[in-house]
Amino acid sequence: MLAPLLALLGVFVVWPLVHAAYISFYTWSFYESPVFVGLGNYLDVLTDHEFVGAVLRGLAFSAMVVPAQVAVAFVFAVLVKSLSRRMAAFMKVTIYIPAVISEVIAAIVFSLIYTHRGGLLNWFLALLGKQEDTAWLGESGTALAAVAVPAVWLGVGVASLIMLAGLLDIPETYYECASLDGAGPWTKMFRITLPLMKNIILFLLVTGFAASLQFLVLPLVMTQGGPVDSTTLPNLFIFRHFTNDLYIGYSIAAALLLFAVLGAVSAVIFRLVRSEKAMDG
Amino acid sequence: MRVIRLTACLTGAAVLALGCGPGADEQPGGRTEITLWQQKFTDQEDAWYKKAVAAYNKAQNKVVLKHQIVPADAWDQKMKAAQAAGKAPDLYTLNYNKAPGFARTGQIQALDPLIPAAKWTGLQEPVLRSVEYKGRKYAYPMLVEPSAVLFYRKDLFAKAGLDPNRPPATWAELISYGKRLTTRDVSGVVTAGNAIDMAWSTWGMQWNAASHLPISDDWAAPRASDPAYRQLLQVYQTLYQQGIMPKQPLAPYADANPIGQGKAAMMVCGSWAASVLLSDYPQLVPNIAAAALPSFDGDSAKPTATLGGWTLVVDAKSKHAQPAADAISWLLAGDTKLLVDYFKTTKFSKYSPRAAVADAVKNDPAAAENPWAKIIEDQVVARAKPEPTYDWAISLAFGKAIEKALQGKDIDAALKAADAEIKEFIAKNDLAGQGS
Amino acid sequence: MIGRVIRYGTAALFTVAALFPLAWMAVAGFKAKTEVVATPFQFFPEMWRWENYALLLGDAAFLRSLAVTFTGAVLFAMLSLAVNALGAYAFARLDFALKRTLWFVVITTMFVPGIAIMLTSFVVVTQLGMLDSLAVLVIPGAASGLQVFFLRQYYLGLPVALEEAAQLDGAGPWRVFLHIFVPLSKGAFVVVGVTSFLAFWNAYIWPVLTITDPELFQVQQYLATFRSDRSSEMGLLMAGSTLAALPVIVLFLCFQRHIIAGIRISGLK
Repeated sequence: MLAPLLALLGVFVVWPLVHAAYISFYTWSFYESPVFVGLGNYLDVLTDHEFVGAVLRGLAFSAMVVPAQVAVAFVFAVLVKSLSRRMAAFMKVTIYIPAVISEVIAAIVFSLIYTHRGGLLNWFLALLGKQEDTAWLGESGTALAAVAVPAVWLGVGVASLIMLAGLLDIPETYYECASLDGAGPWTKMFRITLPLMKNIILFLLVTGFAASLQFLVLPLVMTQGGPVDSTTLPNLFIFRHFTNDLYIGYSIAAALLLFAVLGAVSAVIFRLVRSEKAMDG
Repeated sequence: MRVIRLTACLTGAAVLALGCGPGADEQPGGRTEITLWQQKFTDQEDAWYKKAVAAYNKAQNKVVLKHQIVPADAWDQKMKAAQAAGKAPDLYTLNYNKAPGFARTGQIQALDPLIPAAKWTGLQEPVLRSVEYKGRKYAYPMLVEPSAVLFYRKDLFAKAGLDPNRPPATWAELISYGKRLTTRDVSGVVTAGNAIDMAWSTWGMQWNAASHLPISDDWAAPRASDPAYRQLLQVYQTLYQQGIMPKQPLAPYADANPIGQGKAAMMVCGSWAASVLLSDYPQLVPNIAAAALPSFDGDSAKPTATLGGWTLVVDAKSKHAQPAADAISWLLAGDTKLLVDYFKTTKFSKYSPRAAVADAVKNDPAAAENPWAKIIEDQVVARAKPEPTYDWAISLAFGKAIEKALQGKDIDAALKAADAEIKEFIAKNDLAGQGS
Repeated sequence: MIGRVIRYGTAALFTVAALFPLAWMAVAGFKAKTEVVATPFQFFPEMWRWENYALLLGDAAFLRSLAVTFTGAVLFAMLSLAVNALGAYAFARLDFALKRTLWFVVITTMFVPGIAIMLTSFVVVTQLGMLDSLAVLVIPGAASGLQVFFLRQYYLGLPVALEEAAQLDGAGPWRVFLHIFVPLSKGAFVVVGVTSFLAFWNAYIWPVLTITDPELFQVQQYLATFRSDRSSEMGLLMAGSTLAALPVIVLFLCFQRHIIAGIRISGLK
């Protein structure tokens, strides 16, 4: 029963990964005979402050996107639970719809919203009384956050529905008992809801983290990684090297290092929330 | 119900899979099949390639040339994947600045043994030199286009009290004009606004400012910290910090739409902008003029642009190198009419490096429809430099320095950082001595 | 009363935030090429132009790309389901050698960056002679660590008592899976199926690499023909994207009850 899964993963993921790891030890262009350089490519990557910068930026980006996504999803779930059945059904569809949009289109639409002069966001803020237009994508202080917004927008639908499902699974009797004991809404939230949602939040954190660290198209289309590299996320950094380098060892080594970072941080998240069931076989 | 739907889908799928699967390679008469990959350009250009390929397939019966258009944003991935699997196309479009690097790493074949010497005569000497590596020619030039031309709106000049027939002659003038032309909805100057675009679009300005590029000719040492570059970064810093150029790019540098959309009073763009303006904004054309960018020291004989453009190359592993090279000869070095048609299609916004074609293009009665072609040719193309052929990382390091200046960072520190970065790249990649 | 206002206010906010960019995209499809990016910002076009939509709907290549992508996506969803559900069941219920190691491998594949294995996967499919076929789009990505993880969590939540009776009757793992687990997995399957469908629908780079035959062009590949370095047909791109999003939205509307129920019963805990 495992055979199809293992065969497909083996042929199309594990073998290419091993092959890629092999290539990463060489200076390789497919045309000249490859030169073995051992860990040379890895050393190059690790001593490249731009790579380290990109990874740290990626983590910062995740720190913006993932909590925002989880928080929005949580608020959404609590809200929908309190709505009438028909409203709830409508809201559930609404929140999910952005998830069907491709990243390219999301990037284009949001770039237009962020337009400096005459863009929608600045127009709206001016209505609220803001004096100066802000170049959201043009200033290194705001660009990363501006790219994070469509990332949240794209991912929040699935997260919300998963969150809602978890919330609805908590038996109503728990809350009734708590009410009898005189617990207020906040107590219920912190004593019942959040503890029981722990695993769901864990799942969302891990998958959200893995997804957010791999965004490529959003910064590529919206800012090309600028200004001054402030939105050069790890995958964009690797992609740039991949497209511009004459040899591919460096970009593959960098991608494998990113893989290591992703795996390690995810393992830490698993451990922190300590969900034995998730990791054990 | 669902089961039925599913079955219907599956049947449909099976039919499609059978019907649309790859057909067997039935080539009538045993013609060899060779492939051409062309990067996606404008629709008109794509159509020209399609027509030219069809004509070639009709003109001879030894090979069938298969033509494929590859989206620009997927080009590198597709090419590298194909190369890794030994499936690279026999011939493909390539930029001048990439050709020597590809030759150095053995990705493309020397063409002089495959294309007879007679076919190389009449090509401009500097252009030929830019496709050479170790004395051999690796790419056949198709067109050149200057990377930086100043387009400006005469009507907006007049409205701002400026003389519409006198483009800015110095950068100080360009800045002060820009200031006067800037309104809430119109930027005084639109030009490259991020490191990547600035990395290549300022090659001409780099030559102009310092009479050299930010690396020594033999690629042994960085030269980015030359104080002569300060003025270049200073110009960008002023334009950006004073809000004369947009705070965030309106479009990629190569995209000429901002001036057409009325969002720019002056715009720096490649000569190709002309074809966009002529085909998409005909009503604006009488109001737009073109000029060379100013020189930093006022000497208008200095280069202000580099000549970019496209060539065709043959993959080093192609099993049909000779037929592929023959196809290049036929397409680019054969009948001038075919190419004249190309330059016509692109509204005379590009220039042929082949004397016979260039003359025919100039004498074409339709040439007058591009009112800027002559000025650009005389004032920009004639003084332009070929594109640099070093690795992109060098250009990008300098682009980043300009971007830092743009964002208000210290100019000397930015140049110093670029210098250090280039130095490190030279060391890591053994670049010293590779330059020419 | 105040509670109600806050509730509906928040609901309205969510709706606007989620749908506005999409509405904007659909409306931009009615604009002329240069109007899309016109400043100052305008939501509605000066003149409603049907050209973009008409052009696309009249283009056989676009309709074919929709049909081919749809077919591929359905096949892909079904293959993913079969492969990943079987694997998930095995990891949830069976004992076998190296189970822990293999589970570690499966989980790890979730984090492999696509770019790391893009070239080498392409080499594999080339050697297998799969280029330019639906198979190259459907088969390589079907096995997914994430989906196995998701389904296994679900199966772990089902009481063991369910299958014990059947096992006493001598049912082997296949029978247990087909007759007990599959019928209980409807909701979870819908979730996995729709997710796979979406991933397939929005794929761009992999199809560009592996498909050169215009007959097999995927919808995102087709849309890319409106983007080039030096010009972009914004209106057409927006109209095309709207039309490309519609089938998926409709699909979601049809299955939304199951998706939501599916997520619910799969209770990730």
